[in-house]
Amino acid sequence: MLQCIFLLSDSGEVMLEKQLTGHRVDRSICDWFWDHAISQGDAFKSQPVIASPTHYLFQVVREGITFLACTQVEMPPLMGIEFLCRVADVLSDYLGGLNEDVIKDNFVIVYELLDEMIDNGFPLTTEPNILREMIAPPNIVSKVLSVVTGNSSNVSDTLPGATGSCVPWRAADPKYANNEVYVDLVEEMDAVINRDGVLVKCEIYGEVQVNSHLSGLPDLTLSFANPSILDDVRFHPCVRFRPWESHQILSFVPPDGEFKLMSYRVKKLKSTPIYVKPQLTSDAGKCRVNVLVGIRNDPGKTVDSITVQFQLPPCILSADLTSNHGTVNILSNKICSWSINRIPKDKAPSLSGTLVLESELDRLHVFPTFRVGFRIMGVALSGLQIDKLDLRTVPNRLYKGFRALTRAGEFEVRS
Amino acid sequence: MFPQFGATAETLSKASTMVFRIGTDAHLYDDPDDVSIAPLLDSKFDSEKCEALKRLLAQIAQGFDVSNFFPQVVKNVASQSLEVKKLVYLYLLHYAEKRPNEALLSINCFQKDLGDPNPLVRAWALRTMAGIRLHVIAPLVLVAVGKCARDPSVYVRKCAANALPKLHDLRQEEHTSAVEEIVGILLNDHSPGVVGAAAAAFASVCPYNLSLIGRNYRKLCEILPDVEEWGQIVLIGILLRYVIARHGLVKESIMLSLHCTESSHSEKDGSDVDFRLLKVPIDMSGTCDSEFVNMVSKCYIESPDEYLSRSSYTNRVSFELNGTHFTSKTNDDVKILLYCTSPLLWSNNSAVVLSAAGVHWVMAPKEDIKRIVKPLLFILRSSNASKYVVLCNIQVFAKAMPSLFAPYYEDLFICSSDSYQIKGLKLEILSSIATDSSISSIFKEFQDYIRDPDRRFAADTIAAIGLCAQRLPNMAYSCVDGLLALTKEDFLTKDFGSGDQEAGVLIQAIMSIKSIIKQDPPSHEKVIIQLVSSLDSIKVPAARAMIIWMVGEYSSLGEIIPRMLTTVLKYLAWCFTSEALETKLQILNTASKVLLCATGEDLWTFKKVFSYLVELAECDLNYDVRDRARLLKKLPSCNLGSQGPEEGTNGLNEKNVLHVVAKCIFGRQTREVKAESNNYRFYLPGSLSQIVLHAAPGYEPLPKPCSLPLDDLNVPEGTHAVEKGPDYSGTDDHGTSSGPLDEESASDYDSQHSITGSSGSGRSDDNEFTSEENDNADPLIQISDVGNASENQNGVSQSSPANLGELMSNRALESWLEEQPGSSNPGISEQSQVCKSSARISIRDVGRQVKPKSYSLLDPANGNGLKVDYSFSSEISSISPLLVCIEVFFKNCSSETIMEITLVDEESTRALDSADQAAAVNESSMKSYDNVPTLVPMEEIPSLEPGQTTRRLLQVRFHHHLLPLKLALFCNGKKLPIKLRPDIGYFVKPLPMDVEAFTDEESHLPGMFEYTRSCTFTDHIGELNKESGDGLLIKDKFLAICESLALKMLSNANLCLVSVDMPIAANLDDASGLRLRFSCEILSSLIPCLITITVQGKCCDPLNLFIKVNCEETVFGLNLMNRIVNFLVEPALF
Repeated sequence: MLQCIFLLSDSGEVMLEKQLTGHRVDRSICDWFWDHAISQGDAFKSQPVIASPTHYLFQVVREGITFLACTQVEMPPLMGIEFLCRVADVLSDYLGGLNEDVIKDNFVIVYELLDEMIDNGFPLTTEPNILREMIAPPNIVSKVLSVVTGNSSNVSDTLPGATGSCVPWRAADPKYANNEVYVDLVEEMDAVINRDGVLVKCEIYGEVQVNSHLSGLPDLTLSFANPSILDDVRFHPCVRFRPWESHQILSFVPPDGEFKLMSYRVKKLKSTPIYVKPQLTSDAGKCRVNVLVGIRNDPGKTVDSITVQFQLPPCILSADLTSNHGTVNILSNKICSWSINRIPKDKAPSLSGTLVLESELDRLHVFPTFRVGFRIMGVALSGLQIDKLDLRTVPNRLYKGFRALTRAGEFEVRS
Repeated sequence: MFPQFGATAETLSKASTMVFRIGTDAHLYDDPDDVSIAPLLDSKFDSEKCEALKRLLAQIAQGFDVSNFFPQVVKNVASQSLEVKKLVYLYLLHYAEKRPNEALLSINCFQKDLGDPNPLVRAWALRTMAGIRLHVIAPLVLVAVGKCARDPSVYVRKCAANALPKLHDLRQEEHTSAVEEIVGILLNDHSPGVVGAAAAAFASVCPYNLSLIGRNYRKLCEILPDVEEWGQIVLIGILLRYVIARHGLVKESIMLSLHCTESSHSEKDGSDVDFRLLKVPIDMSGTCDSEFVNMVSKCYIESPDEYLSRSSYTNRVSFELNGTHFTSKTNDDVKILLYCTSPLLWSNNSAVVLSAAGVHWVMAPKEDIKRIVKPLLFILRSSNASKYVVLCNIQVFAKAMPSLFAPYYEDLFICSSDSYQIKGLKLEILSSIATDSSISSIFKEFQDYIRDPDRRFAADTIAAIGLCAQRLPNMAYSCVDGLLALTKEDFLTKDFGSGDQEAGVLIQAIMSIKSIIKQDPPSHEKVIIQLVSSLDSIKVPAARAMIIWMVGEYSSLGEIIPRMLTTVLKYLAWCFTSEALETKLQILNTASKVLLCATGEDLWTFKKVFSYLVELAECDLNYDVRDRARLLKKLPSCNLGSQGPEEGTNGLNEKNVLHVVAKCIFGRQTREVKAESNNYRFYLPGSLSQIVLHAAPGYEPLPKPCSLPLDDLNVPEGTHAVEKGPDYSGTDDHGTSSGPLDEESASDYDSQHSITGSSGSGRSDDNEFTSEENDNADPLIQISDVGNASENQNGVSQSSPANLGELMSNRALESWLEEQPGSSNPGISEQSQVCKSSARISIRDVGRQVKPKSYSLLDPANGNGLKVDYSFSSEISSISPLLVCIEVFFKNCSSETIMEITLVDEESTRALDSADQAAAVNESSMKSYDNVPTLVPMEEIPSLEPGQTTRRLLQVRFHHHLLPLKLALFCNGKKLPIKLRPDIGYFVKPLPMDVEAFTDEESHLPGMFEYTRSCTFTDHIGELNKESGDGLLIKDKFLAICESLALKMLSNANLCLVSVDMPIAANLDDASGLRLRFSCEILSSLIPCLITITVQGKCCDPLNLFIKVNCEETVFGLNLMNRIVNFLVEPALF
């Protein structure tokens, strides 16, 4: 099982260490790690499982913070990785983001959380709802209070009732004057368009996000009008497996607040809502770039937040790019970012310009991949439809809300 | 920065972010030692202590050693503030091992906290106490864990499970069995949360004790979907190991698909031991790479290191699977495992998905494995880190069974955001699953990848193309064409520096071509020619060297190549001096190869070029080249020398030898390098070892199939029973007589623990399997145990009170502390017996001690010396539910024989005056079924000698709950009127249920169906006094109370003990909160009736009992309650 967890800042400083078992891990392992990270660069940083001379390391990098866990014995590596991801999720939820300062400022909370989340190297309580009841997240009230009175405790005095119940994800018996439950379909479209302009792969990765504020112990059922389009699904632990197996109905007792009820995948979609057509022609050490963006299949709602990004190949010396709509920026790491936002009615946005190649190169032989971002409110492009949401015992004032949103996931256009 | 300020925080300037740091612990982290910490620690204000502790924690976080504050910090462990406690615990755990002596000071506080009413405090105390890891306190921790393992709070029990590995880590041999017992208890817990943690404890404490799993296998399978995700990961692995050890591999699974064909093959050949894997025809429509699968499955079962090291010297004596080593997919245990793990493939936790997939991979029939494919591919959409691990596993699956993933090749297409390792893995998988139908789309993708700015990735893509072409010979031509075209691209023909990545692309392209050509050289003759002709434009030394190697290798291939050799050699000689080292060496090699094979008119030219080259090389700056030249100079002379007849025989021999050597070195018998697959190492799917490709410490391959024989399951228990045997039979005369009753036991625990006599030990083995099957139906074993115990009571009614004392002393703590391995075993098993039902304690032995109260029916004074006693029996009448069973004992106290004793119903005697019409009585009584109290006629006792006692079982239908029944007793021809008093406590029969069912039922019976009364209870006092001399521990006081209370209840009414909830009282002498639940159903109407008894008061004083009865039948319920109150207040008989 895990022996130690280190949190490293983006400069390699060890911000925190939490020893988990009697087999202590010396900090020097972090030096070893950081030396290798520097000498081997990105390849090392993206390696989730590392065999160091003394320990096996699992690393998860989130917003510059490296979560490093060490073990010396066999254990499921995904367990370590998944746990570190949960720690990162919980911390960023508690601290409202992750960066060096915020972790240092709240190191006590981080310690307390880690202590509740893992015991003797085995995960103990990872359910965010229960953790919130055990250790209060920092908020302005408690901070002001602590300044004024010099005394505050964020450690709960009692054990959250949920730890013992059969629905460990749900806080015990919340009471609400207004009972509300919101269901959001949040979809991401992954698409690959190859050099010939052919749609190689187009699929939707979607999540059903629920925000529930219901009193008591509600038992919900959610059914879809067309569950057959779902290629595969994954569920929050609250979902009962058997009703889904037999009737494709989601039956669950929801956690309180926001949570991801299920994620799903819909494959083999036929078209994308927008098109991006890059053209690169190179000759005599110069390369002409021309990118056209437009609506292909009108989804019925406005497509906004459209962005096109691409990494200039290393052989490009300089670039001069302009667009007839939106703004073009070339970032320090040679990433060119064109933000269009909405497509105007009167013209088709286009980006054009020239790239100057390295002196010995005549023509461009490597081509960048254009990564496209967009967002469409109110539409689930997969076509998944929620049929109905039922409560077994309907409280007197119940409000149900449904929304949908699609945005681009791994949307790539190769040139 | 903070959620409340999400929008504003970002726009605020840096200066104002300082504002947000106010109130956080920022200053503590930045300057932890800017104030003196020591006085703060001694402060009387919690806030100051907190600050001091936070400062210490900040220093720990930053890697400073602040252990010198240890003594001061330890003092604060007694603080009432939970925050201080938490911080102290954090500090303590960090340094306890360093300062063991000071750490001991905190133990008292932990012990106190363990009795705290707040479960959070108990849990923390246990976690910290176990986490301190000091050998000296291990016995105390063990006791604490044992206690917490039956804590009412799920969370505390979970922490108890987590504490077990900590104890185990201390490697104290004498505690091993005790720890394992507690693991067994917790595995049997009814709360899924506890089971998950217990599974983790099992995996680290006693992974080989699979019999522990065997007992609960089915229950564990069923509870699996509800277990917490982390527990699921571990539990899946354990269940898989158990099934394999117990039943072996599944015949239809991929692991065995090959062994079957193998064994049939070797049977046919008889003497042929070699499997000749490749020649075995495999009728699986070519979906599996048979050799590969074979190796994988062997590696899973024997660790790869073991397997590979052995196979290196002999491949024959491998682990063979004979008919007894596998099972079929119809095996129930296998089926239930697959059934219960398949929904986990939908889990949100990718580790759960992977381990569930691993089970299916190993166990599922081949045709069902495909269900793991989609979930595996779906978890590729989760974090990048887990993507890599999943791909590593998919890689093995895909190689072993390409058909699984072949239809999903699109999912493995590469996006630009993938990391380099992920791209490499995806390419490798793609090349191993490509089929004739999918290859065209895959190649289209590959063509795009070659244009990727990441040139290493482009090179890898080219290597993958080579692999595809080797797998699918149909594609070889188009692959080679594409690759050739690539090598001619102008960007590749520039002169690169050696480190340039473009060079890598080119080298890889040539390498791929080379490997494709090697498959079938004659058909690729033109390719070689084209490559050779492009030598002029290719500048990369490694690429040139490879082309030159091909010239030498295929110099005699086809028609054209031999003809162009002279030109090529001349060209090589011409550019020799300007070549790089590796190219030079390769030119020399090629020249000598050509020379060796050459015949006819070219020979002379070759020889000239060769000697020119050697001369050049001999003057080369590099010594390797010079050495090579000197070596080669000798060799070709043999080819020429054979023409010189003037050579002597000696010289001829020498030349022959040289010739052979030359042939050996340069001859074209390059053997197929096929052994690469031998270097693969496979570890279980989802394991760390599979990712790092060596066996990580603690890696265990799957157990040997069927290594857990049937008998293994109960061996330890059997020995315990035997050991216990003499222990009991010495003190308890009735021990042996209770043996036969075990047949009723429904659970294996019970069968093992209720055995008291030596006769029972053999029986337990017999019972083992029937009971194992049965207990699956009953999810809560500890409850059914008690139910059974009470069922047993009728037979054991005479068990002696000495038994209890025996149990109590054995249970005492001393047996933990003064361990003697030999003698301690019974003690330990005794202990476990007590806390077998972890959360809610159960009192298993009560059943045997139950002694139904005996009433007098006929006094010897009135009955001419005949004494008749009766007691109510818990047996259920088989004739009618309205009948109550009564045991009647007839004793002749006179000095003469008493003849013809029989009991009849008063009313029936009125109608039929004779004594010998038993049959008629029977008939009439059955006719008047409805309203007349009936007595099923008893078998007449022909004669009773003086002093003799005879027992008869009567079945009576009482007219009323409370009014006595008039009967007539005939003896010696005389009629004696007697009255049989009913006991409402026996108008019910036990209704076994678990606590959930109980509380559920209870919630359906509120208000008017619920009646309460209170009374006092004193039985336990005598019990406690009796034991006080033995230095009895506190927890045993509770037990004694529970036991005496339960005993009293069960001795006076036919109930089922559902649960005993133990309070963890702040005051150790306070029994308040102790709660016993009983259930029963009314015999006549089968209406359930629930009884809850809550205790209040000090252990040693008379206790206040609150009795609550929930029953739909109001009158009956009230009467029953009154009856219970009546017998509870009655003083104890012993």
